[in-house]
Amino acid sequence: MSVIVARDLTKFYGTRIGVENLSLEVAEGMIFGFLGPNGAGKTTTIRLLLGFLRADRGEARVLGRDCWRETAEIKARVGYLPGDVRLYPWMTARSGLRIAGAARGLDLAPRGQELIEFLELDPTVSVRDMSRGMRQKLALILTLAHDPDLLILDEPTSGLDPLTQERLYAHLRDCAERGNAVFFSSHVLSEVESLCDRVAILRAGRLVAGESLDSLKERAGRAVTIHFQERPAAYDAPEFLEIGENKNGVWKGSLRAPVNQLLDWLRDKPIADLSIGAPDLETLFRRYYEEDDPSHSPPAAKAGER
Amino acid sequence: MNRGLLRKTIRETRLMILLLAVALFLMEAVLSWILPNFQQQIGQQWLQIEFIQNVISALLGSDLGGQLSPAGFQSIAWVHPVALSLVFTHELVFCSRMPAGEIDRGTIDFLLGLPVSRWQAYFTESIVWLAGGAVIIGCGLLGRLAFQALEPTGEPLEIGRLLIVIANFYLLHCAVGGFSYFVSSLSDRRGRAIGIIFAVVLASFLLQFLTQFWEPARSLAFLGILNYYQPLPILTQGTWPIANMFTLSTVGACFWVAGGMVIARRDIRTV
Repeated sequence: MSVIVARDLTKFYGTRIGVENLSLEVAEGMIFGFLGPNGAGKTTTIRLLLGFLRADRGEARVLGRDCWRETAEIKARVGYLPGDVRLYPWMTARSGLRIAGAARGLDLAPRGQELIEFLELDPTVSVRDMSRGMRQKLALILTLAHDPDLLILDEPTSGLDPLTQERLYAHLRDCAERGNAVFFSSHVLSEVESLCDRVAILRAGRLVAGESLDSLKERAGRAVTIHFQERPAAYDAPEFLEIGENKNGVWKGSLRAPVNQLLDWLRDKPIADLSIGAPDLETLFRRYYEEDDPSHSPPAAKAGER
Repeated sequence: MNRGLLRKTIRETRLMILLLAVALFLMEAVLSWILPNFQQQIGQQWLQIEFIQNVISALLGSDLGGQLSPAGFQSIAWVHPVALSLVFTHELVFCSRMPAGEIDRGTIDFLLGLPVSRWQAYFTESIVWLAGGAVIIGCGLLGRLAFQALEPTGEPLEIGRLLIVIANFYLLHCAVGGFSYFVSSLSDRRGRAIGIIFAVVLASFLLQFLTQFWEPARSLAFLGILNYYQPLPILTQGTWPIANMFTLSTVGACFWVAGGMVIARRDIRTV
């Protein structure tokens, strides 16, 4: 079952595009990464999904309910972490849990205490005396305490130390294993790579890619260096190998096919050494981010189907 | 209404409400002592001066007709600029909180991330505002009654008439608060909302004053909200200002509902 379904979601700020014709689908138990440079429309999408903004066109449903009309019912089952966390200066973890618990009609104290210990936060310190990282931890505790069916996290690891980031990743994986969905936006490729089942990439309010991480990796290419015994090597490079440098029998390039295909091609060639790197997602993402015209990008009108 | 938001709103506003309530209590107690003494000693001579008559008429929003009874003189306590300022401070500070204040400080994301509709959030805030206003104005009445009981100076005011003044005062508070909520609903900046509300309330006060001194301003008097709050005839004659109270409650309710409709429909963007 899909927990988020958006169809042709469009939002303009005056004449400026917030998002345009965005379609995506997030299934139960999925960790969905939402990537894009600043101003690409990630936060706008999240605010549309939570009913903070009203779409100019299109529709979005979260947990089967309309995002604009049934926002209170949706948020009873959603945990939302804003990108720029701002909390009341007087709030402590305890008072925050009491208020959120009363608002949700739940006793959040036991689960909240577990999260306080898990994230190592002093529950008596008020927000005005907290560092940025501590505020982020408190916001995470308030987001996670009611064990939501869907987590919507806008850059959740900003301000967190690496150890806490790892703990959060583990917690999000646990959530997904229990069948809860996680939708999060991020700038950090490594966390998307280590966490996500699927990713969508936004640029200038438009979806430029939306597919599983594995298929992205397949398209990403791997850095390859081949040292031939013959110098110079008198071969024509196969079309799945983009050669960037060819000097003295050493080829450096990018592999655009499965590794086996390269190994098959090399089988009857005299090679002295071969190195094949991990899929180079960074280059792929940069290509998506930097291209000026979205129509030059690989077609990806809809993201998220499993 | 949402219990969590109620708890949060009370937590954030209780100190302000308490301070304003104590201030109005003291203010009314002090005026209850000063005004009868002032009237007995020098008041009647001063009232012969036309300018002073006009100033008091402007404050009271009623023509004195050259004389002021002890009860009428004490009605100054309920239109004194300090008393009005204390109550209007409550409106300025409280009613600009939702949504302008929450958007301005970025906490609206936390607030609306909870399972509440915007109407629920607005309604819950408004409940605390209405209760807070009742506490503040009620403390003003207590200040008056406490001093009257402890130190009976001059002619005691009839409690029934005082309660009518309090009801009229409370509806004035509701009208200004309703308007304040409406301004806040249109704004993302609390400072701007407060500035607009303050300017309108001040203009209303000045208009009320001006009508006593400048004939052409009288035709515009109906535009000022203070025109509908006149304790003098209530305390001297005991009449219910039905039309005034109806106007104030209608203005307050219309602005409050309009504010709620704007909040329910508008985009919420942090600034």
